[in-house]
Amino acid sequence: MALSGWFVALLALGAVPTIAVGGPWGLLGWLGLCVALVAVDLLVAGSPRALRIARDTPARVRLGESVASRLVIANEGRRAIHGVVRDAWQPSAGASPSRQRIVIAAGERRALTTTLTPRRRGERRAAHVTVRAFGPLRLAARQATLLAPGVIRVLPPFHSRRHLPSRLARLRELDGRTSVMLRGQGTEFDSLREYVRGDDVRSIDWRATARRRDPAGGGLQLVVRTWRPERDRRVVIVVDSGRTSAARIDHEPRLDTAFESSLLLAALASRAGDHVDLVVFDRRVRGRVQGASAAELLSRMVDVMAPIDPDLIETDWSAVPGLVRNVTPHRALVVLLTSIDTPGSSRALLAALPQLTRNHTVLVASVTDPEIQQATTERGNRSEVYRAAAAERALLDAARVATAIRQSGADVVTATPSELPPAVADRYLELKAAGRL
Amino acid sequence: MSTTTAPEVLTPTLRTTGARARFWILGIAAIVLVGIVMLVAERGVSTEASRLDPDSAAPGGTRALVEVLRDQGVEVHLVTSITEMRRAVAAADSATVVLHDPTAILDEQQRAQFLRTAARLVVLEPGLAATADLAPEIGLAGSALDSEQRLDSACALPAAERAGEIRGTGFGYRILDDSTGAVGCFPAGDDIVALVQLPRDNGDLVILGATSLLTNEEITLAGNAALALNLLGEDATLVWYVPGVDDLRAGDELPSILDLTATWATPLALLAVLVVIAAGVWRGRRFGPLVRERLPVIVRSSETMEGRARLYERADARLHALDALRMAALGRLATRVGLSRRATVDEIVAAVASLTGRDRSQLHDLLAGAAPHSDADLLRISDELGQLERTVAQLTTSPPTR
Repeated sequence: MALSGWFVALLALGAVPTIAVGGPWGLLGWLGLCVALVAVDLLVAGSPRALRIARDTPARVRLGESVASRLVIANEGRRAIHGVVRDAWQPSAGASPSRQRIVIAAGERRALTTTLTPRRRGERRAAHVTVRAFGPLRLAARQATLLAPGVIRVLPPFHSRRHLPSRLARLRELDGRTSVMLRGQGTEFDSLREYVRGDDVRSIDWRATARRRDPAGGGLQLVVRTWRPERDRRVVIVVDSGRTSAARIDHEPRLDTAFESSLLLAALASRAGDHVDLVVFDRRVRGRVQGASAAELLSRMVDVMAPIDPDLIETDWSAVPGLVRNVTPHRALVVLLTSIDTPGSSRALLAALPQLTRNHTVLVASVTDPEIQQATTERGNRSEVYRAAAAERALLDAARVATAIRQSGADVVTATPSELPPAVADRYLELKAAGRL
Repeated sequence: MSTTTAPEVLTPTLRTTGARARFWILGIAAIVLVGIVMLVAERGVSTEASRLDPDSAAPGGTRALVEVLRDQGVEVHLVTSITEMRRAVAAADSATVVLHDPTAILDEQQRAQFLRTAARLVVLEPGLAATADLAPEIGLAGSALDSEQRLDSACALPAAERAGEIRGTGFGYRILDDSTGAVGCFPAGDDIVALVQLPRDNGDLVILGATSLLTNEEITLAGNAALALNLLGEDATLVWYVPGVDDLRAGDELPSILDLTATWATPLALLAVLVVIAAGVWRGRRFGPLVRERLPVIVRSSETMEGRARLYERADARLHALDALRMAALGRLATRVGLSRRATVDEIVAAVASLTGRDRSQLHDLLAGAAPHSDADLLRISDELGQLERTVAQLTTSPPTR
């Protein structure tokens, strides 16, 4: 049961008979009238318990986008429902409007549309629907909460896809390039074409040139060999979802930046013809995408990533070499998306790296905090100098870890949250161009 | 994805709510019931009743006397206001009125009114003012009676003569003026008597001081019972009058605040309270339960840096702080001038000195030498480091013309 503002107004109107009649009888009479009217209203109101609810919610939505969720309510009772409906979603599902007026005649159905604009990645749930059905006098309402579970998976936003076209263009530049600059183990023979000015004379294929000699006695047509980057290499992306990935940099957890980076890298690498596998790991495998075809890779990745939140435990780096071996026995580019802060917290990572670098090309990518970088330059007063010193100390610590990682044969990329995804993609392109995959 | 849910309703119906609350409803009802029973039972055995209460069976009460009088055929009325008393007297053929006013509720006018009552009047232990009003011929002599002392009637009153001697405590009185025919009985020495009878136009007035002889505890001692029964059972009707609330006449002159307010004021205030409660229910009734959600902890990554900065500051760790600043500056300078990060301080100083043309020892002092002695020192060195870095940066990005 619920009362309406009209009931309160009606009750307040009782001041008139109370003063007019005087004594307790005016008040008592009015109270009796109010109670009687409420009783009648409640008896005549349609029962919200007689409603049947069907939910029609899309399965997925990308973070930052809006989607319409439909609610079909059928009235199986004998009286019409005049009321208000609340579709109860979790707060961060961003449901709006949260309350909607509805009129359903007996035996009819109505559809309600709620717009969901989720504010957080992961699975957002709806638990129930609450209906308040008012009587004809609008004084009181019958209220019931009906179980109507629903779920929508909010996928990572993949903001960094705006970097994809420019990186793909650079990838195409690698394609069909002569060996002007790059002619190493990492390139393979692609095709023959006519020599144009500017090609490296060393790439002229004399044998082919001889074969193409025009019998009619035309001019000599030089033929050069072209090369393309190797294909069908393997990229294994390991995302650290442990304690340190929960820290927020620029209003974004490190984990989300790692997801952005891995999505951009995967999109790029799958277009370049490489196989991409993803493992999200802390002490157990939180998510895994393995053996996905290029077409379904990204959708499978976002689906796996969506519900993963950082766990507040230390990542078990000693298990990572085994994990990578499990994914592929072959040589691969292993990208570790983690954080490198201090030698102390990165000890386990440093201990595990040599095992990886022995068989694989390893790239360690980490987010740096622009706030720390900023702090080093502000030295106006005493507090700021100490703050700058602490910031410098943090940077020195990170630099020491980076140096240690390089010494054990891996590569390091560090950048701010917005710059890390393109930086990782660029490093991948460099490695590909150099044929180091 | 369309799922038709079974009609599972989370809101409990009125019946299930009732069933769930049954334990509490029954429990509270039982407590109330037990309370009422105990209250009733307590009333019957009360020992805390007021003295000389004709309803009380406690030692100090006078119920025994009243019951015996009733058995003897005397009609006993217990009244608490002067109006009731007069009505009871008017209804009887002949009546004895007992007045016991321990808290002196009656005022002068009411006492005069009482004296005009056409009946035999027995006043139990009147106080100073009451004595003066009711019987100006006698005076109060205080609590002069000893309970061990047997008092002889020593007067011609029939009731006193039949009793012979009594034992009891209470007030004693002295007859100040016997010209009006006042008779004193049961003298206790020193001219003090326990009972005084005064003649009136319409029935006698008896003042009884030794009232303890009426109580359940002492009525059986000596001739107490004889005196009490003869004194009070003389007429067919006994009116036992204990002045109560109705006799209070305070505020006769000034109307009370209740008289001044309109009759609708209290109901209107009540209505206002009800409206506030109704508005609370209207706004406070929640629209279904909340949906729970696990929210992530928010940890800012720079928190360790801020914590370390505060630690430095609180401990005045100038040298520590400056070390960090210097090492970072050295690292950046080394890359600027084209040395590896592993270059020694001397190498960097030499390279920077040749680039900027500054004094070597001075540069060495700035980059690796002097310890700061005050915060001002620290600030100055930090500023100089910054200045040096900017100079080197300028020189290396736009190389001087050679």
